Amino acid sequence: MTKSIFKTLLAASALTGIAATSVAAEDVDYGSFADYTLRVKLIGGAQYEPLYARIAEWEAMTGATVDVLSRKNHFELDREIKQDIAAGTLDWCVGSNHTSFAPQYGSIYRDLNGVISEATLAEFQPLALQNSTVEGRLVQLPRHSDISNLYYIKSLFEDADNKAGFKAEYGYDLLPPETWEQVKDQAMFFADAPTFYGTQFVGKDEAITGRFYEMLVANGGALFDDEWNPTFNSAAGVETVNWFKDLYESKAVPAGSLNYLWDDTGLGFASGTVALNLDWAGWASFFNDPENSKIAGDIGLVRAPKGSAGIRSGWSGSHTFSITESCDNVDAAASLVTFLTSHESQMVEATSGLLPTRAAVWGDAKAQFAADGNDFLVEVFETYAISMEEDAFTPPLITPWIEVSNEIWPQLQAAILGEKTPQEALDDAADAARLVMEDAGYL
Amino acid sequence: MATKRVPFWQREKYTPYLLLLPAFLILMFVVLLPLLFSLYTSFTGYRLIRPESLYDWVGLRNYRRIFTDGDFWSAFGRTILFLTIALNLEFLLGLGIALLINKITWGQRTLRTIMMFPMMFSPILVGYQFKFVFNDNIGILNNALYALGLSDGAIAWLVDKYLAMFAIIFAEVWMSTSVFAILLLAGLFAMPRDPLEAAKVDGCNSWQVFRHITLPFLMPFVFIAMTIRSLDVARAYDIVDVMTGGGPAGRTELLWTMIARTGYDNARMGQANAMAYVSILLSIAFTYYFFTKLLAARKYMGGAE
Repeated sequence: MTKSIFKTLLAASALTGIAATSVAAEDVDYGSFADYTLRVKLIGGAQYEPLYARIAEWEAMTGATVDVLSRKNHFELDREIKQDIAAGTLDWCVGSNHTSFAPQYGSIYRDLNGVISEATLAEFQPLALQNSTVEGRLVQLPRHSDISNLYYIKSLFEDADNKAGFKAEYGYDLLPPETWEQVKDQAMFFADAPTFYGTQFVGKDEAITGRFYEMLVANGGALFDDEWNPTFNSAAGVETVNWFKDLYESKAVPAGSLNYLWDDTGLGFASGTVALNLDWAGWASFFNDPENSKIAGDIGLVRAPKGSAGIRSGWSGSHTFSITESCDNVDAAASLVTFLTSHESQMVEATSGLLPTRAAVWGDAKAQFAADGNDFLVEVFETYAISMEEDAFTPPLITPWIEVSNEIWPQLQAAILGEKTPQEALDDAADAARLVMEDAGYL
Repeated sequence: MATKRVPFWQREKYTPYLLLLPAFLILMFVVLLPLLFSLYTSFTGYRLIRPESLYDWVGLRNYRRIFTDGDFWSAFGRTILFLTIALNLEFLLGLGIALLINKITWGQRTLRTIMMFPMMFSPILVGYQFKFVFNDNIGILNNALYALGLSDGAIAWLVDKYLAMFAIIFAEVWMSTSVFAILLLAGLFAMPRDPLEAAKVDGCNSWQVFRHITLPFLMPFVFIAMTIRSLDVARAYDIVDVMTGGGPAGRTELLWTMIARTGYDNARMGQANAMAYVSILLSIAFTYYFFTKLLAARKYMGGAE
């Protein structure tokens, strides 16, 4: 059997010669699968595509061919996978997955313990692997992680008039915010609708549920109690909804926020019309790219602020790869997902700001950014490293998470728009969520 | 000598049935069986992610749930409102465009082709196009209004209760008006000239000619267009899904967005199919109404009953 050896040198040493102490040539045998066609379904989108350019390398090494059956955004891919489950057409091997979505899919994906070698798994961050585990089974291998931190336009905070004006109005110094209450004050201070806004938030789908959830936790609340009874209609829940509602009513956020998703908020901040923006690491390079962003070179970044309970918001998750139980060549599938989550692959993804799941890549990527003179990405990685370590928490990893979310977000919108009081809206959402949890057998 | 008995499939009286059999079989497999299957699943707790739940018979529970759900009835009413306004606007605008194009003598073919452009876009593209147009912050409409001094604030087109419905109806009308225009233009081309000339000789003015001759002649075409559109208007799902997703707070929620979310995102296909059956009945009601109007219009014109 022809044995193809692929030598991946840690990019830090290969490209810059820095961090030589941590460098070890990584000999990985990706196997030989001549004439085999591996069928895969991948998440598509600008942030995710650069990695797929490496698939050709894996094909050349192993002799296999990768047939990409789908390349869609996660919500569309989710629908397609559910249709495959229903139709019994899981005739593919590797699929993109996400820690928030994975619990829905039951047992269609293989436990990767034993499929991926222990030595390889040991190189991943334990928390990322833990969050990829559903009912004791490692159903996915984390590709990169996500958590949000607060970007802001630096010059606004350095302007003497702003400093004096803010202090006169709010009684404390204008500094990058440490709490969500300060974010609210500053957003209202900077807002000058319709040409400039203090901040913004995503306003629909799981996006706003997630934002609500992380601030609820930061304010000392919880979505469920230990027995899965919905508890988000608590005082902390009302406090959280009021934060969104106050900003919306004072026109400190764009009027269309309730229809925004990630692209809208990302492009909005890059357009230079928003002062503060809680966003994912994957946007960092975009925000600082003069071709795409009017605020390139003028961006500050701080950890996500704290809520009233002194806890920082830290809604987190990982994009992952899974292998189906029905896969006809598990070795080939394991080889591909190992390759796509290898040190070198994660270095490729890190250059756009995507957060690695292999512990070593954090340091090596940062070293490479420093050597390249990209101080901004160094700051990004330093900030996100702390928040991944200290602040990160996932939504409940339960089958009906998306369904519960679909009960919560329309009610959040109703409260923000003033159609219901926050308490009424959360009570209605809690009743509906209870029904979902009962149907799913949790209650 | 006894005559050989002809096999029954060769007997003349069975011939029509045999000739119809392929069409019947195709319709059964392509239309009837899926419909019966989805009807069956509407009485089960079928969840897409648990294929075994297909046999989980729950009787009328799905129907009881949706009939007692205020959000469902709101979406139902909103869908009727959407259908009524969109179809009537498409008819009026389509009629206007057809009459204007019928008048011109030069460049008519080019205009007819241009008129069909919106039909060539997929509804998803139309949705993205108007999502951008109506975006409150970076959308061209708000920027144009602001630049012209016609508005001093960002108008939340896709959030406001009335404007959001207006925006999705506008997108739908933009995409589908040409269907009406083309069918009505075909009607105008087919119209005999004699009654028009006779009316003019008798001293009718233009409005009277239109009201008493052109319009009655066109009505069968109008109802054909209405029937076709009421059957395929659910394509607007893509537009609504992209532009507002049925939100905010359910303000633009139509039966189709609700069905898709229930069936796919929540994976409750049994309940979604119960909703879909109500939606099908609504479509049938609209189609039946337009069909009876079509027959009445043809009868009025002295055509086939």
